[in-house]
Amino acid sequence: MLPYTIYNDMGVKNVEEQIADLVAQVAALEASSAGAAVTNTMFAETFYYLTIPLMIIIHAGFLAYEMGASRLKNVLSSGVKNILAFAFMIPTFYFFGWWVYWAFPTGIPGLPGPAGISGIEYANAIALGWGDSAQYMGPNIADQASGVFFGAFAMFAATTASIMSGAVIERIQTVGFIILAIVLGSFAWVVAAAWGWHADGWMVTNFGLHDFGAAGLVHAVAGFFALGVLINLGPRIGKFNADGTANHIPGHNMPLTVVGLMLIIVGFFGFLMACVLVPGEAWSWFADKPATIYGTPITLSALSFNILMAIAGGIIGSWLFTRDPFWMMSGALAGIISAASGLDIYFPAMAFIVAFSAGIILKPCADWLERRGIDDAVGAVTVHGTIGLYGVIMLGVWGAGFPALQGAAGDAPTISLLGQIIGAAVFFLLGFVPGYVVSYILKMFGMLRIPEGAEIAGMDLVKVPAHGYPEWGNKAPITPAE
Amino acid sequence: MFPYEEASWDVVDGPMYILANTSAPGWFTFIAVVICVVVLVIGQRSEAEKTKRFDK
Repeated sequence: MLPYTIYNDMGVKNVEEQIADLVAQVAALEASSAGAAVTNTMFAETFYYLTIPLMIIIHAGFLAYEMGASRLKNVLSSGVKNILAFAFMIPTFYFFGWWVYWAFPTGIPGLPGPAGISGIEYANAIALGWGDSAQYMGPNIADQASGVFFGAFAMFAATTASIMSGAVIERIQTVGFIILAIVLGSFAWVVAAAWGWHADGWMVTNFGLHDFGAAGLVHAVAGFFALGVLINLGPRIGKFNADGTANHIPGHNMPLTVVGLMLIIVGFFGFLMACVLVPGEAWSWFADKPATIYGTPITLSALSFNILMAIAGGIIGSWLFTRDPFWMMSGALAGIISAASGLDIYFPAMAFIVAFSAGIILKPCADWLERRGIDDAVGAVTVHGTIGLYGVIMLGVWGAGFPALQGAAGDAPTISLLGQIIGAAVFFLLGFVPGYVVSYILKMFGMLRIPEGAEIAGMDLVKVPAHGYPEWGNKAPITPAE
Repeated sequence: MFPYEEASWDVVDGPMYILANTSAPGWFTFIAVVICVVVLVIGQRSEAEKTKRFDK
């Protein structure tokens, strides 16, 4: 390069200088795009990383909710059950749950799907904690996505298992419950997700099933799994009278339960955020806009509008006929769940109306189940199971005709009422059948329900070496200060 | 119903919600407003009735 610039008589740089300027500009552009690529990768990794603690707030919520809904004598054992289920979800999802999601979208025998991101061979390559696959299942400087995706999905698994835990409080055995939680959280919902929450899922490619926010594959599966368990578990002692009428068994701390439910709402934002695929990465669907798990476009703005309206509609609907803060907050959950399948495409006022209707039907549905002798301590079967299916089908009513995948008109399947009904039926079976079968087997081995004497004495006394409220009651231990 | 003539996300460049480009969103908004008002009216009447029982 010349140490000075040569201008011609017109004051324009000569050709060599112009070429040198262009080369310098291209180098500067490449450097900035490399920087932009790092920024985008860090944004994507951070986005999913942050959904993880937000989803752990769901578990803080479940702890408060279920401990508050338990009687004093069972409070800590309800907490232990929840904490242990969370703990077992993580390694079991690592050992095999993550693999199941990637292996079976097309069904058995796990052939690859049209988008090329599924099948047993693909799952073996990326989702096992041994062999060549292990490089994607641990720290890897060239892989800033696998761990945070795994983390988000593991939180989905933990949430799914926790949904069941509230229904079965105050009489289930700890290890039997953990086995059920593993079957639900690291297998049953994962199969539902592979089939209905994956661009290669056979329910999506064949029937246009659309369940953006997992109303069916998480909530309905978990709710009906709980129903299958409850049928074998039986009601709490004292719940039903000889004539079949039900007694209300109040929890010892309603304020704790209500606050817990509100924490679950906070965590829901993390859950739904993790349902979005950010743009601009090699694994993204689009360079310039976020996508659903199906590769259809979505915006966080859409989620903001619709989640908030759904929470509000659910609360308002359930307040109208119950006036009970427990049912109001359950209505908030029901509101989100009822709109979850279509949070990407509902108009906000429509999400409000759908959620309001869910809030209205919530308590009557729960009462209906109770009249059939099912003791669901927290209404989980109704809030998650019934309303989950309601939400899946509502989208079929309103969203029919929307493309379920990317593609040219006519190539991509579209959402339809029939497709959503088929999905709802499959989700019901994927929840209910394993819940019933596994709990039946556990019952045969004496691992499902605690003995009657222990239930009457209280599970804390029997199982937990600590006191929930050591300074209450006549027999409370005297503190050293006294 | 998909709010574009072709059932493909490739043609979507704006509103992407159900019944976009129709009057339906306006009607849904109106219904939501009515729901809120009606719930408050019903709520006020029943709360007032409950408190009257304790009013001496």
